[in-house]
Amino acid sequence: MKAIKGKPFFAGIHVHDKKSLACGIAKEIMPAPEEVYISLSQSLGKPAAVCVEKGKKVKEGELIAKADGAISSDVFASIAGEVVDIKPLTGANGGTETYIVIKGDGSGEKAYLPPLTDPDAAAIKQRIKDCGIVGLGGAGFPAAVKVAPRTPVDTLILNGAECEPYLTCDHRLMLENTDEIARGARLIAKALGVDKIIIGIEANKPDCIAAFEKYDDIQPVILKKQYPMGSEKHLIYVTTGRKVGIGKLPADSGVVVQNVATAFAVCEAVEKGKPLYERILTVSGGAVKQPKNLWVKVGTPVKAIVDYCGGESEPPRKVVQGGPMTGLALATYDVYTHKTTSGVLLMTAKEAAAEEPTPCLNCGMCADVCPMHLMPMQTAFYSAAGNFEAAAKLGNTLACIECGACEYTCPAKRPLIQAIRKTKAYMRNKGVPAPAVKPVDQKGSSAPTVPLTEDGKAEKPKDTEKNEKETKNG
Amino acid sequence: MDNSVVISTPPHVKSKRTTKGIMLDVIIALIPAAVMAIVYFRLNAFVLEITSVLAAVATEFVYFFIANKGFSDKCSHAGEVCKKWWKQFDYTSVVTGLILALILPPTAQWYQVLIGAIFSIAIVKMVFGGTGKNLVNPAATGRIFMFISFSITAYTACAIGPIGNGSIIFTGATNLAGLLPAAGSGANAGSYVSLLDLFLGTGVAGCIGETCTLALIVGYLYLVVRRVIKWWQPLLFIVIASFLSVCLAAIGSKSFEINLFLDFAMSGGLMFAAIFMATDYVTSPKGVYGQIVYYVALGVLTAVLRYLTKIEVVSFVIMIMNLLVPLIDTYIVRKPFGYKKVKKQKEGK
Repeated sequence: MKAIKGKPFFAGIHVHDKKSLACGIAKEIMPAPEEVYISLSQSLGKPAAVCVEKGKKVKEGELIAKADGAISSDVFASIAGEVVDIKPLTGANGGTETYIVIKGDGSGEKAYLPPLTDPDAAAIKQRIKDCGIVGLGGAGFPAAVKVAPRTPVDTLILNGAECEPYLTCDHRLMLENTDEIARGARLIAKALGVDKIIIGIEANKPDCIAAFEKYDDIQPVILKKQYPMGSEKHLIYVTTGRKVGIGKLPADSGVVVQNVATAFAVCEAVEKGKPLYERILTVSGGAVKQPKNLWVKVGTPVKAIVDYCGGESEPPRKVVQGGPMTGLALATYDVYTHKTTSGVLLMTAKEAAAEEPTPCLNCGMCADVCPMHLMPMQTAFYSAAGNFEAAAKLGNTLACIECGACEYTCPAKRPLIQAIRKTKAYMRNKGVPAPAVKPVDQKGSSAPTVPLTEDGKAEKPKDTEKNEKETKNG
Repeated sequence: MDNSVVISTPPHVKSKRTTKGIMLDVIIALIPAAVMAIVYFRLNAFVLEITSVLAAVATEFVYFFIANKGFSDKCSHAGEVCKKWWKQFDYTSVVTGLILALILPPTAQWYQVLIGAIFSIAIVKMVFGGTGKNLVNPAATGRIFMFISFSITAYTACAIGPIGNGSIIFTGATNLAGLLPAAGSGANAGSYVSLLDLFLGTGVAGCIGETCTLALIVGYLYLVVRRVIKWWQPLLFIVIASFLSVCLAAIGSKSFEINLFLDFAMSGGLMFAAIFMATDYVTSPKGVYGQIVYYVALGVLTAVLRYLTKIEVVSFVIMIMNLLVPLIDTYIVRKPFGYKKVKKQKEGK
């Protein structure tokens, strides 16, 4: 179908995308590391429950931890080998997660589910659940929950915006695996019982838009290059004109949004029976020798990834897991990829901002660029004074999607996102309002530098409210 | 990776724009007006500008030095305080000093502007906590301070509005007799300043930076292009104030003369105040809706108070509205994206 232009949304920012570092580099399969450390917290919701014991031989793709509860996902062995340890380790966000350590035996034996031919809706849903597929955009909401909405839906939107700077993995995937994504999208649409499939792609990826024009049942929409275009709510507004209310799910507006990488994973799960244990991620930034788009096993140490890309070309100022606008700054390379890790960025001193904050000028630029039309400066002002209730009320903080546009644009370099997270954590601990998803107890503070809330409870790294589950790297 | 990595909350990339950069932009935008002031009012304007800026910066430095106990310890500590001051120096005091000089009549004396600048910075800005914390615009308040303190030289006869038969705009300080066609008492009904003169500022009495409308428009365009201010902000203020002035003038003279619109817009301190003083970030509302309320209220108040008092009131109006800004910010809160949809859905059900 011929691509149509999506309308812009009010506010948002224009970030220098720096995608040219890696967007021309073809996808590459990274050899399996010797050891993988697979976290049990691979998605939003509760961590999975371990179902293997120490010393057990596992095959690639074998179930090692079972979903625990409605919003949780299965975890699979990403290499064939032996489970050598099950232990708690410090995760990327500074909190403690339980990891299953598998030592590879190099045999590469695979244990896939049987492929399905011409499955019906129920079979697809079951397969998505069995393969542990989560939203690969970054927030990791279990896809099985998303394809079983409580309200009727009429449209499936594929999120190919990839509005985060630097990241190019979805770009490469859309270019090299166009057919698989299209087939995966049709499968999801069949599971949902909808006919209309829209794929939203930002205007800076004309080659991807052209690639998707050849399908008759998929409508490509050219999105204006505007951050955060990949935010679920804004993508829905831009492509269909519908607005998702505060605290509502996209399904309430008759829409389901899935990332293109998720569609690809669904296609593989159904056609090959392959569980989700590897994904594509971008290694980029000025401080890495060879930027790459890598096909990486879940649980690969970041150190191995950086070494595979030639190591550091200069000492990085910041190492970021995920995109630069919403990702996590790492303190050490001894962390391991998750199902949701979309990038590893080594940023030079020039690229990564680390200026001292200066006094707030009340210029209102943060409010001008806020895609959710909030008042971040009010949140920052009142939370600095310790009055979190006023901060949440006057800044409408609970509707925040933490896209980072306000802090990006702030001329005084105020730590606005930190203030917003602090306010949210305070309101959550107070139980106002009741969070849609229960906080994950295991995870620790948001980032090592973020102070704990007053009552000593640790903050959570990502807000678990449903309304922001796929704001991440588009 | 060594220990030199920085860990912080996202975003990890930030825009190049800084407070310093914005203030430099404002200074650049003020330069045409400052240069035209020197062209028209010669040495006096130059002395006023230099005195004001230096006094403002020096006051800020001294206040910072005392507040950081620069005197208490040994020399090295004083040096550290100086370095610290230079690090946090963001040109806001330069902007305040320059604006304060430009909104003074050419007859003002250097010692008057010195005291005014010290008051603006020390009392209006630094006592409240420095950059970003002041409640009212320092320059506008400094002007009011000088107006009250040295009422003879600064601003006696700055009358504005149609005087006599309604076709005359008279703005100015009386004792520039040699320079001004409109000099003398307010009853001098024969003098008329043409629109072109008002636009270029040639032969117009008034405050040194406010006379040349062309220079102000150049500054306005620069600020808009650099996205320091929004294009509609000063326009809203100027258009509403001028249009209401025309309407109010019509009440007095019983004839509605829309051609006076431009005279009102370009006379007195309205344009300068709208572009450089009302748009001051610190003392204007944060949200867009609050800003609309603020600029409309400024326009209405200016027109009404000008009509009632027959003097230039823009500084007073700005100070009054500055004090109402916290109220505006508290009660005019934006609705988040998607808020209306929730309501509609409920109605639909």
